This record gives sequence, structure tokens and C-alpha cells, in this order.
Amino acid sequence: MRLIIGGAGQGKLSYALRTYKLTPTDVAENFSAAHTGRIFDRFHAAVRAALDAGENPQQLTEELLEANPDIIILCDEVGCGVIPVQPEERAWREAVGRLCCDLAEQAKTVERVFCGLPMRLK
Amino acid sequence: MMTLVSGGAGSGKSAYAESVILRYSAAPRIYLATMQAWGEEGRQRVERHRCLRAGKGFLTVEQPRNLAEVEIPPGSAVLLEDLSNLTANECFGGAGFAGAEERILTGVDSIRAQAGELVVVTNEIFSDGVTYPPETARYLDVLARLNRQLAAQADRVIEVAAGIPIFWKGENP
Repeated sequence: MRLIIGGAGQGKLSYALRTYKLTPTDVAENFSAAHTGRIFDRFHAAVRAALDAGENPQQLTEELLEANPDIIILCDEVGCGVIPVQPEERAWREAVGRLCCDLAEQAKTVERVFCGLPMRLK
Repeated sequence: MMTLVSGGAGSGKSAYAESVILRYSAAPRIYLATMQAWGEEGRQRVERHRCLRAGKGFLTVEQPRNLAEVEIPPGSAVLLEDLSNLTANECFGGAGFAGAEERILTGVDSIRAQAGELVVVTNEIFSDGVTYPPETARYLDVLARLNRQLAAQADRVIEVAAGIPIFWKGENP
């Protein structure tokens, strides 16, 4: 598994498609589609959808990695703002951050994209 | 040579961008200011930046939008501060969102063609996880695209964190 993080709009998807020679048909945007896709884009949004549906994103992530250990996961960094007033916003931010730490630990490579430019963190 | 400098609020990106300009002996030095100082806080911010530049030989040119109108002495070292402000001025004032991105890119091209050195300051405001109202989200999209396009064109892309430069593209100037 590879992890690519970065702020919103920094060009993570186009970087991943270019670098790993993939096409938009290889891209999944939810946990179940990611079981067979090559790229899991907008992981942060899928975590939000899982939380909203009362599911456990950590468990979903573990199942995903078991089913698709070579997946490339793209996730927005969402933790650099003011602490949100809404408890569900706080829980989401926290969950995304923690899951990224877990993913980074297991990942073969971790890259961060900034203004379309990659930097290898691991 | 074009350098793009980014960072969060209070990261030291302005001071760093200025230090890049000061390394070039090229004269004159032009400070291309995009901020419209509204209210006391705005005026204080402008004043703070003026003090930072005092005695460093900068000629200040104020241009809140339509950068393509600016004429500068050929070969100047130009500090454009900043892209997020210019983008807001173009998107929310003047001709609005329609064509804002093109106007800014054309404007930067025009400055670049006249200048010997160009340092563009922009902002890192994309990692807060907040869902903004549509107008703001659209602005963020425009700015993110401009950042990526200028980064692709730039010789150097530097993120500043706590005053420390991180080199994303190019070498330490």
C-alpha cells in the first residue's frame, strides 16, 4: 500500500495517475469500490461517509488492506484549522488524522503533494 | 527566474521572500502590493510590512487587480505579495470569477517578462478540512489551480514553516 497526502486541491490524483501510469477507471472513491480499485481517492470523504452511516472506518480500512494490499490511498490533510464547534466535525478530523498515522506506518511509501509537487516522506 | 513562496499565516514567508530578492543586486527592487487596506487591521498589516522593507530600497507599486497593466523598469527584482489576495480581489471585485484565473496568469506572465527576478508569495490555506460556502470553495479552487500552475512554471518552489524554508522544487537560492 502507498499513501499520498496533501491539502485540498494540491493535485494528488493527477500526480498519482501520472506516476503510477493509471487511468480514471482505476480510481475508487468509497471503501467497497476500493477493494478492487488501484487508487482510493478522497479517503477523507469516505471516512466521513462511514462515520455518518454509523460504520467504523478503522475496521473498514483494515478489511480494505486485507482485500487489496497494493492499493494507493489518497487523503486530504484536514487537521490544520481551528477546532470545529460541531462534535461530528471534530470526530471526523481526528479519525482521518489517526487513520493516516496508521496507514503511514504500514505504507511502503508515503508522499506529500504540495502545489502539484511531490515530496517523499517515507 | 521565478520563485514561488508559500506557507501558512505568520509562517515567515514574507520575510523569507524578501530575503530571496535581497540576494540579487538587480536594481530597482519593486514591491508589487496587491492588498487593499480596508479598516484598521488592514492598515496595521500594511504598516508592518512597510517597516519590514524600510531601508531595503524597495519601490512600492500598489495593484490590487489587473496585473497586466503594470509597467516596471526592465530587469527589476519584483516581490509580488500576494497571490491569494490578488485572487480574492479579482474573484470578488472587478470583473469577478469569469476569467479571473486567466487574468492573473497573464498578469504574472507580463511581470515575469519585464522583471529580471520575480518572487511570488502565496498562501497555504488548504489543509483545514472545512467545507466552505460555494463562493469561498470556488475561490479556493481557483487559488489552488493558480498555485499548481505557477509552481509548474517556477524555477523554485519553497514552503516556509516557522521561518524555515522547505525546498519543493529547485535549489536554495
